[in-house]
Amino acid sequence: MRGSLQLVQRPALLFMMIAMPLLCSWFLLDLMKGGAVEGVPVAIVNLDNSSMSRAIERNLSAMQGVNIKRHYASHGDAMKALQRGDIHGFFLIPERMQELTLGGRSPMVSYYINYAYFTPSSSQYKGFKAVSMLTNGAIAKTMLDAVGLISEQSIAATLQPILTHVHGINNPWTNYGYYLNMSFIPCLLALFVMLTTTTTIGSEFKQATSLEWINVAGGSVIVATLGKLLPQTVIFIAVGWMTQALMFNSYGIPLHCDPWTMMGAMVLFVLANQAFALFVICFVPNYRKASTLCTLLGMMSFSFCGFSLPAESMYPIFNSMSYVMPMRHFFLISVDQALNGIDIYYSRIHFAALIGYLVLPIPLLLRLRHNCVKPLYVP
Amino acid sequence: MKRKYNILRWPVHTLKACVNELKLVMGDVGVLVFFVLVSIAYPILYSLIYNTEMAHDVRVVVVDDDRSAESREFVRALDATSEVKVIGYAANMQEARTQMCEHNCYGIINLPRDYALCLGRGEQAHVNIYCDMSVMLRYRQILMSTTAVQLTLSSHIQKAKASVIPINIGGGTIDNEQVALGNTAMGLGSAVLPCILVLVLQQSMILGVGMLHGGARDRRRRFGGIDPEEYDAVALVSVVGRALAHLLVYAVPAVYALLVVPKFFDFPQNGPIIDIVAMALPYLIACSFMSQTFKIFVRGRESTFITMVFTSIIFVFLSGISWPRSSMSQLWITLGNMVPSTWASQGYIAMQSNGASLAAQSHAYMMLWVLCGFYLVSAVLIEAFVARKQTRNPRKRQY
Repeated sequence: MRGSLQLVQRPALLFMMIAMPLLCSWFLLDLMKGGAVEGVPVAIVNLDNSSMSRAIERNLSAMQGVNIKRHYASHGDAMKALQRGDIHGFFLIPERMQELTLGGRSPMVSYYINYAYFTPSSSQYKGFKAVSMLTNGAIAKTMLDAVGLISEQSIAATLQPILTHVHGINNPWTNYGYYLNMSFIPCLLALFVMLTTTTTIGSEFKQATSLEWINVAGGSVIVATLGKLLPQTVIFIAVGWMTQALMFNSYGIPLHCDPWTMMGAMVLFVLANQAFALFVICFVPNYRKASTLCTLLGMMSFSFCGFSLPAESMYPIFNSMSYVMPMRHFFLISVDQALNGIDIYYSRIHFAALIGYLVLPIPLLLRLRHNCVKPLYVP
Repeated sequence: MKRKYNILRWPVHTLKACVNELKLVMGDVGVLVFFVLVSIAYPILYSLIYNTEMAHDVRVVVVDDDRSAESREFVRALDATSEVKVIGYAANMQEARTQMCEHNCYGIINLPRDYALCLGRGEQAHVNIYCDMSVMLRYRQILMSTTAVQLTLSSHIQKAKASVIPINIGGGTIDNEQVALGNTAMGLGSAVLPCILVLVLQQSMILGVGMLHGGARDRRRRFGGIDPEEYDAVALVSVVGRALAHLLVYAVPAVYALLVVPKFFDFPQNGPIIDIVAMALPYLIACSFMSQTFKIFVRGRESTFITMVFTSIIFVFLSGISWPRSSMSQLWITLGNMVPSTWASQGYIAMQSNGASLAAQSHAYMMLWVLCGFYLVSAVLIEAFVARKQTRNPRKRQY
């Protein structure tokens, strides 16, 4: 009761709990609503200026992934533009390309891609590679036709005897937003949940009202903590569900399981994060230190929970550290359930882990009680 | 209220405000944690996390319905790539799927029954590859390795054919090559870290300054509107004095993060040192003014965290390192333009990775100075009208 009253009395906190997570989710979702990176600004350096090289230009300009912004007269000019940041890469057609090709030799077209920006580099690679292959195919096809390889099939087989088809399961569009938002939005929510927990409990220490807090709860630290955290739990679960609705409903992120599974996972996730933060503040009974710790861990979890670089590819210590955070388990549940829609049996360990967090702070609650009865605020 | 200032005394007051701020920073462990510890430890931690750069040996299983010498050759070639590791054969797709569900593997290579037959007949042989899409990097690695194997094996077969068919496949075609710029390792770490190195400075400053301000507010609350540790001066002088102090404190962490850490981890470092330092100067000043603007949202020392921390993620994305700015909507581009880290990271990456000079990045450099001006005005306004409004120091001014 006191907990909810305090929440209402602190509209700023309520704003941080409700509006900010939703605004941030909307920001991330809206930012990447395009799905795949398209129209990366690139340039062409055409030293050949023949009908063949112009055909390549036309093909390239038809590619979705890249957008030909400029034409440069030399490699140096294009490089300068790349250093200025005007373009992310360029396609270089060498001198006398058409002449050499028709003469039966093999000139080399090169594409220069700036890998300092990772995501656009893949779109460029796809576009540039496809254009070079297409051009090549057209030439070779004409030649093979000429020597009498008539059937389409045998031409294809001669050009590409083996063809691999890579299927991205459940995200065949390689939609960047689908993959990123599924991990980043809950991770942001976790940050808010943890910090709200430490803020509300920590401010009791700070304002030296922790004794009063325990007394209102009839001297029971369990009642006190529950009374304080449950209103937040309710709010955060609602906010979490809203972010899920935004993700899966409004922005069409794949949801291949029963919606209730993910909603249930969200409930556990919010509780686990609260329990984790409670554990931290029990362990380090200092408002600032607990908040600092939650901040640093929460920020790090964006990296070491393995959303971009897979956890198994990191140094073993970071791999094992990632399992310390509730986010890692929730991420694996989302992947298994929402994205891949496999049987819940395979996620059992992670569900169990999320439940396990709830037990974590219990042994330390007495310590919290001790600190509440004798509050000591160290700034 | 009538105020009289002696403008000539401003530099002295600025210095005094600076010294006062330095004292406050040095006396505050909580702030020092952010100003010094975070800006020293975070670059190292992040670099270590991403130091493996790439996912190597992504585990895949093979469903070989053909069981021929040719299909085994494909699997051997695939296993030999650094990107992929074949952990075993599965009897059928169902078994492979179970392996995938149990997270033993992240990809399935399916060689159809007629693989060798097609190759022998001179028809096109197909290989199906199924990838788990939970982490894009795994998909990318599987895609790259299978493409490489496809091209190598294809060229072997073509060569064998060329001796039979009287044509020369190699001649009369256009070859192509990729040249990786900026990040020749094509690693994730070398791509992400430069941006993080730049951002850590800004974010730790926002948090530290927020805590300082929160502490001052707490003191005011306790002492009835007076902050005994504040140096009382005109708003402009206070703001500039503090910025000077922040600049002094950050000189070492900035040099360390921007120039030394890349040496430790061998990240791209093609930038001229002088130019990087020249870029860091307006960046740090703009960060300080921005931090002093953002402190308006801070109510108490510790609530800095909940109100400020999430901005890191927003600013990372606005800087365009993950999702390119060219694909953002105008709203987010404009918002990104207002954040110093956007320009600083763009400039820093261009210099360190692509070897640009400051002259090539003059736009980013200029924008940083523009932001300095913008946030100076906002910080002074906030200092004069908001931060001090209710808790104005009632003592008479001393000058």
